[in-house]
Amino acid sequence: MNAHVETNGIMSSLYQGRPAFVRYWAYIGLMLGAVGLALWGGDGYTENGYIFQLVGQDGFMWLGTGALLATGVSIAYSTMRPEATEGWIPKMMVSWFDGAALMVILMAVLTLFEPTSANVSYEDQSNLFAGHVIMTMNVLFIFSAVSYIAYLFAPDSFIGKLATWTAWAGVYAGGSALLLRWYESYLFMGGEIGHAPVSNIYEVFILLFCIVCIIYLQWERNYEAKAMGAFVMVLVASGVFFAIWLESVGQAEIKPLVPALQSYWMKIHVPMNFVGYGAFAVACGAGMAYLTRMWLEARNSKMVKVFPSLEQLDQLAYKSVAVGFPAFTLATILGAAWAAEAWGGYWSWDPKETWALIVWLVYGAYLHVRISHGWHGKTLAWWTVIGFLVTVFCFLGVNMYLAGLHSYGRLS
Amino acid sequence: MMPPMSQSSDYIKTILLRLGSMSLAITLLTVLALASVIGTVLLQNQDQGDYLQQFGPIWYWVFRALGLFDMYHTWWFLSLLGFLMLSLTVCLYRNVPRFLKEMKSKKVPVSDSAIKHMEHVHHWQLPEQSLEKIISPIKDQLKEWTIRTEERNGITYLRADKGHYHKWGYIFVHSAMLVILIGGWISVHYGFRGNMQVPVGAKEHEISFLKGTSTESLVMPFYVRCNDFSIDFYPNGMPKEFKSNLTIIDGGKEVLTSDIIVNDPLYYKGIRIYQASFGDGGSNIRLKLMKLDGSGDVEIAKTKVYTTFKDDKTDITLEITDFRPHNVENMAEVHEPKDFQDLGASVDYVMRGPGLKPVKIRSFIDPFILNDENRGTFMSVSFSGNTKDFKPMALGLDMTNPKEWELFQRFIVRLGSADLKHPKKANLQAFKLAMADVFGANRPDNFQAMATRVIQAIQVIPRLPWPYIPILDNYDQKYYTGLQLARDPGMNVVWVGSGLLVFGLCIMLYISHRKLWVIIRREKDGVKVTLAGLSNRNPLNFKREFKEILTSFENDMQHLKQGENV
Ligand code: HEM
Repeated sequence: MNAHVETNGIMSSLYQGRPAFVRYWAYIGLMLGAVGLALWGGDGYTENGYIFQLVGQDGFMWLGTGALLATGVSIAYSTMRPEATEGWIPKMMVSWFDGAALMVILMAVLTLFEPTSANVSYEDQSNLFAGHVIMTMNVLFIFSAVSYIAYLFAPDSFIGKLATWTAWAGVYAGGSALLLRWYESYLFMGGEIGHAPVSNIYEVFILLFCIVCIIYLQWERNYEAKAMGAFVMVLVASGVFFAIWLESVGQAEIKPLVPALQSYWMKIHVPMNFVGYGAFAVACGAGMAYLTRMWLEARNSKMVKVFPSLEQLDQLAYKSVAVGFPAFTLATILGAAWAAEAWGGYWSWDPKETWALIVWLVYGAYLHVRISHGWHGKTLAWWTVIGFLVTVFCFLGVNMYLAGLHSYGRLS
Repeated sequence: MMPPMSQSSDYIKTILLRLGSMSLAITLLTVLALASVIGTVLLQNQDQGDYLQQFGPIWYWVFRALGLFDMYHTWWFLSLLGFLMLSLTVCLYRNVPRFLKEMKSKKVPVSDSAIKHMEHVHHWQLPEQSLEKIISPIKDQLKEWTIRTEERNGITYLRADKGHYHKWGYIFVHSAMLVILIGGWISVHYGFRGNMQVPVGAKEHEISFLKGTSTESLVMPFYVRCNDFSIDFYPNGMPKEFKSNLTIIDGGKEVLTSDIIVNDPLYYKGIRIYQASFGDGGSNIRLKLMKLDGSGDVEIAKTKVYTTFKDDKTDITLEITDFRPHNVENMAEVHEPKDFQDLGASVDYVMRGPGLKPVKIRSFIDPFILNDENRGTFMSVSFSGNTKDFKPMALGLDMTNPKEWELFQRFIVRLGSADLKHPKKANLQAFKLAMADVFGANRPDNFQAMATRVIQAIQVIPRLPWPYIPILDNYDQKYYTGLQLARDPGMNVVWVGSGLLVFGLCIMLYISHRKLWVIIRREKDGVKVTLAGLSNRNPLNFKREFKEILTSFENDMQHLKQGENV
């Protein structure tokens, strides 16, 4: 059952014992360096200046020192206490950090394809390169969705592996494209409108695809749940079509931020929210797989064999909600904290806030339904599907149909 | 008749059981979710007249009676929240003692039948050996577990626990909800939040806010004076930053002067002052009233934003509602490179008068220039009174040029006496005569463009039902800064509850209470070792964890089987 990362010798040794331990701490040192830079370095943290400090000489010094110090200390420590390297946290986290680092490197490579800033302007953004990378991501995700469906019919063929690989490739394309957009936002108007790529609905959609895929691929790797991919990736692919539509109506442009959004809160509140949304999407995929399997069982279909067991699908839906619920809770709290700072009240019953509460109540009820006797299996599967519809309304419907303070996401 | 004592305490028990039950929790959460939807679909706290118009008298009164226009503060919605608090309290009261006891429980032995029901069980049959030899490698393997051993009836039981504090998660999460709700209650009862609009140069000490469906006000213990207000715009016309320079005047003394921007409030005497919005602070406006009675007269009207200009001769009123110094618009199509143009200053007013349909107009000071070509003065017109329904209306003439207006007037006069049999020729003739009337022999260079505009104006202006066209002529702009003032003593309580909530959720959802038992039983021809495991949640992970433990045990057991030292 454990289809764990069974890669070849060098690779797997990189992900355990000392190499993993030391690398893990090096990453932590890097991050602490970044925090130190924000708190004490150079001119301190300013909304627009920090990113330049980070990529400038100050950043090099602080991050480098942090990483070097942490590397040294962790080498010394692991020599004194070799058993310290056995913990599971470094092993797990290091692959995440590596992935993130790879995305940054990819982005740096992609900037080489960027036109000089003389050739782009705010008025004409058509030369920017991120659009191409996003198009690549779109193609990869759609291809992956089709492959996952094909896998249901031909579980023994190569197509299943291809599906997984293209999904991963899509994640890297999407992640690096977002970082590239961040870079691009500094290319015109003298860099004065630069901001993190989580400020409009187009950008957060890309973020959402990546998060959904990452969560799902994690489950696939750990719990042999490949058939579920067909459902999850179909959700992602529908999102991709929506994003293509957004692009076609001119929603993909980099736009300046209104004053209320110029805050570091945006950079934590929005991604955190989308971890929640993404996890709920994966739960919905598991729920749909559950219902499909039940339907197939009733018809004595042979395809049932491809699916994970009902119990396993139910567990995976639960695990997804267990990821999404605390993330969503935290995101809502962060949003409240931001509102408190920007508008003077942590809660205003604004439609977006209220819908966040509704989503939260729906999944809260789901968690209770799970442990109360009586309703199970099918009810829970439907709950995840309907819960996700509510979630979709929260992040799309509210912007499209209801007015409120969160009008930045408004489709115009 | 009083019910007997035991019976009434039975009642209480049943009620408590119901109040703290899971099905009630599910029902409450669902009902709250459904109720919350209403307030998002129905716009809250709008103008009562708008509601009446939207729903008609019957539904308006039904909705109003249910408080749906300010739903989140109605007695029934608040009672729902109160009920949730009650239910949480009862469920904590019922469960906490039980859970605390459970977490402390030190029972080590386990019955055979319990073992039989566990999913994860494994047995080994070993040759005779000392207990010590078996137990010490097991303890080595389970270093991260809490281990207790006990002997009963000659059988040695070893129990290992991980995450036995898991129930704290439940306690934290549910008490956190209570704390948050209490914090919210404190905020509502002991805090306030309202807006004040301070024109540049003025001071203010009263905030206003909505209570139910009416607006109320509250006097602050100090004055706020706005010394200055400024806005930075992006090239596309969006505000980039707006900033107020404020002075706090307390007891007649200036105590504090500071700049505030959005996301960076000012704090004084427990009250936070936020930069919330901005708007027109009563700018001075000068309008040209271009008479349409054939006289060609132009009258000047001096007024202010937020005042109503009344003209006694025609009984027309102009209610000036807003002024904007810039109107930046993108003139390009989607996917074309953006082309931002500032259309210049504009004033909004509502024109009313006898026999006239009220109309909302946005009048621009500058003529509209497209591709370097002057298309004349224009305005936006909305008959619904809603700015969303503004439709552009080109007047044709460039009203900034008085000569052009004169030309237009002469043209009408000359047309009146023209020969109607040959309209084309007559038009040209009339225009030539009008030109001569106005300019004499020296025609301006751009007279052709002027001609185009005059011809266009003749299609539009004579059809207007108004006695004159009010056009923005000049202005002296003044902003107000929109501040939000708030005091919120419940806020910190809410943050504490929030922290507890997230922390508790992490314990509750990510840590499961896992138990392992190792049972060592001496039998006739050796020792039987049983390993059994149980987890209260996350069976998938536990399955894997158990398998790993099993593999590591297996190794040791093989050694023991072969009688080697481990
Ligand atoms: C809005 C508020 C509430 C939240 C956020 C909340 C959250 C939770 C969560 C996350 C769980 C854990 C589910 C799991 O184990 O997977 C739980 C369990 C539980 N909740 Fe709530 N709950 C709320 C309200 C209530 C209310 C009102 C009641 C009682 C009437 C209640 C009774 C319980 C009980 C009895 C458990 C099971 C504990 C156990 O055996 O582990 N909850 N709750």
